[in-house]
Amino acid sequence: MAKGWWLRFSLLLVLVLASMLSLFPTFFNFSEKSSFPIKSKINLGLDLQGGLYMVLGIDFNKVYRDEVVSYAKKVQSVLKDAGIESTLGLPDAAQLNDPKHSIVIMKASDVESAKEKIKEFFSYPLRLTGEEGTRLTYGLGRDFVKEIEETALSKSIEVIRNRIDEFGVTEPDIVSQGSDRIVVQLPGVKDINRAKDLIGKTAKLEFRFVNDEMSPATLSELLAKVKKSGIEYKKGERFSEYVQKINESLVNDLPKGFEIAFSKTMNKVTNEIVNLEPYLLESTSSLTGQELQEASVRIDQEQNRPYVALDFKPTGARIFEDITGKNIGKRLAIVLDGNVYSAPVVQGRIAGGSAQITLGAGDYNTVMSEARDLALVLRAGALPVELIFEEQRIVGPSLGADAITQANIAGVVGSLLVFLFMLVYYKGAGLIACITLLANVLFTLAILLGFGATLTLPGIAGIALTVGMAVDGNIIIYERIREELRGGISPFEAVSNGFNKAFWTILDANLTTALAGLCLLNFGTGPVRGFAVTLLIGIVTTVYTSYFASKVLFDFYVGKKTKTTLSI
Amino acid sequence: MKKPLNIDFVGLFKIAGAFSALLIIASIVMFFTKGLNYGVDFKGGVELQVKFNSKVEMSELRALLSAKEIPLSQLQSIGEAEQNEFILKLDSTGDLNAISMKVGTIFSEKFGNGNFEILKTDIVGPKAGSELRISAFKALFWAILAIMIYLALRFDYKFAPGAIAALIHDVSLILGAFIFTQKEFSLQIVAALLAVIGYSVNDTVVIYDRVREIENMNSGASTLEIINRAINETMARTINTSLTAFGVSVVMLVWGGPVIHDFFFAMTIGIILGVYSTIFIAVPMTVFFERFMIKKTA
Repeated sequence: MAKGWWLRFSLLLVLVLASMLSLFPTFFNFSEKSSFPIKSKINLGLDLQGGLYMVLGIDFNKVYRDEVVSYAKKVQSVLKDAGIESTLGLPDAAQLNDPKHSIVIMKASDVESAKEKIKEFFSYPLRLTGEEGTRLTYGLGRDFVKEIEETALSKSIEVIRNRIDEFGVTEPDIVSQGSDRIVVQLPGVKDINRAKDLIGKTAKLEFRFVNDEMSPATLSELLAKVKKSGIEYKKGERFSEYVQKINESLVNDLPKGFEIAFSKTMNKVTNEIVNLEPYLLESTSSLTGQELQEASVRIDQEQNRPYVALDFKPTGARIFEDITGKNIGKRLAIVLDGNVYSAPVVQGRIAGGSAQITLGAGDYNTVMSEARDLALVLRAGALPVELIFEEQRIVGPSLGADAITQANIAGVVGSLLVFLFMLVYYKGAGLIACITLLANVLFTLAILLGFGATLTLPGIAGIALTVGMAVDGNIIIYERIREELRGGISPFEAVSNGFNKAFWTILDANLTTALAGLCLLNFGTGPVRGFAVTLLIGIVTTVYTSYFASKVLFDFYVGKKTKTTLSI
Repeated sequence: MKKPLNIDFVGLFKIAGAFSALLIIASIVMFFTKGLNYGVDFKGGVELQVKFNSKVEMSELRALLSAKEIPLSQLQSIGEAEQNEFILKLDSTGDLNAISMKVGTIFSEKFGNGNFEILKTDIVGPKAGSELRISAFKALFWAILAIMIYLALRFDYKFAPGAIAALIHDVSLILGAFIFTQKEFSLQIVAALLAVIGYSVNDTVVIYDRVREIENMNSGASTLEIINRAINETMARTINTSLTAFGVSVVMLVWGGPVIHDFFFAMTIGIILGVYSTIFIAVPMTVFFERFMIKKTA
């Protein structure tokens, strides 16, 4: 026996036994409670067990605009402290991804010192983009924009994770992709629409005062005018875009600093808008959801209706008390995601920092579930940005089961075909090939389990292909041995030469395939990634089984140097 | 013992090359005239797979959906007729999410809850679609480039052009087959293309290895002789490996079920093309590239 054979054989044996052991729970479907020491099973991809896969895009534009507006206000107060009087020009939001805001300095002689001051305090968040007489225009600093994006992305992921956790999904996967994408995978989720609603809700809560100087009749007239000019809500359009268009076209008709928002009544079954009630609201909010401490569902005992009770943080409570005190008699609209929920009249100063959102009509259970979801999104934190559903893939649970059975049967038939071919063509050596192929599949599955990687349908296809291609390693070696035998040397030498000469060929061939696999892994999303993963794992196990494991078995088979025949 | 093979593959290069060039040109022409049938993955839109418990006619579905203003662009029955399973493709801009949900409500109003099941929903926004398309072609490009660099470093630069020509050959002819049959071009097919690239170059590398080995023996043979010898000597391996891979691929194509059918359609064609391009294009091309380089330096 060759030197070190027992060592190499033991390694192979240990690997095979360990792989088998680790795969028991997967194949015999052990329950969590079984006394078997290994608990983990192979993760099945969404295409095999059903679930939801989503790619969410982030719309940063609103965040940029909010930042540029808020910094302009800060600049103004810093300048005031320095004795420089200024007014805010118009924010220019035309370039959505690079908004600007202008600041007009009152005295021309102050312009230089104003620039100095702004540079001193705001060199990081703001950069000067234009200067025209006493009008300075500022945009957001490049690094600052990057920071905004990074924070918004990580905050969004955190918020989505919180919401999903409250929804109760086992093993959700929420990760960022690039700088403006979030990929959410929820395996096994049944109530997909509710999950989707929950994730997509931006839940931006604002309190904005209503301007009642314009009568409802005037507003309706204006809206009729807008409709005439061709701006109409088209089914399937984003509602916020429609509202934005209206406000753009009415910019000269509405008082400055105010805009139109709607209270929407929806038909719950058809998901169509039944009624729109216009409100004229302040463009800036007096208080936002960031000041919120707690949101909970309570029930109005008199009317037996659920509502959402809000409690503010101390700072928010103070602001709330202040604004209600100053605006007695005015209506304060509670705006969620740009839509007006209700607009109660402020009866007096509200101290103690609590408010409530009453919900629309509907039977008790509908209102209750709506209130619960609303409280949940408010509590779990508002998303700092608007999310766009860019890609959604939903697989029902029954589709996966059929697909697994079919692919498995085909995989087994395909493998048997390969085994048969090898046995017929290479006889005794073919048997060794069959054993190493089986070990190959076993190792691939075990590594998949070890990495916690996911097995998808293309992944099963990848394993089947691995069997088809792994046999290549055996074939290369066997053909080499046959060639050597033709040269008339002993089986022992032929085997030894065959393995030596085939080594680099096998390695080169597999490395180039691995390069393609890596490109696939880098590009792939969802199920396609599963294919790349099994392909790459398969390459590693192939090199081991078809070369090293085969050699162990061959050394045993050829045995003594005196052997004169070889079944190959 | 059998007589060793001795076929002049290099001599056949001109015929094979002309034949392949013709097919590639045809594929390119079709690409610009007929175009690929991009699936939802790349085009954006909605694709639903629905199964009904009782018999439903395609015309009935079509009428029902058009009455409710659902922009149905393609309706196709899959599997056996008695499965009552359909794939619906909706072309639309606007709110894809709302539209796909509306289809669900229309079906439950008409057929009742529990009498149908939406097995699968794919919603891809137009932006995501075009980005996926770009990244798919990028992945193909990088894979080919990485392999070229590897071959140039690990072997000799003279081997790289042939291997790359073969890869481009394989990819464009598979694309050609998809354009010709108007089968849907989806993400899975890109995965199949990358797998084909991997396996095709695998074949090529095995022969290059043999070329290098014969060269190192310093027999004084010409490149042409060496290459013919290398192809002939490795022929048994090439045929056997291709046969096993081809066998598995065909089995998966026939019995693997509708979800992976197109993937293995691409694989099966790719395995045949891969062997052909290795033997007739990639390896013989080395001779011509070398002659070209010698002429240039001379």
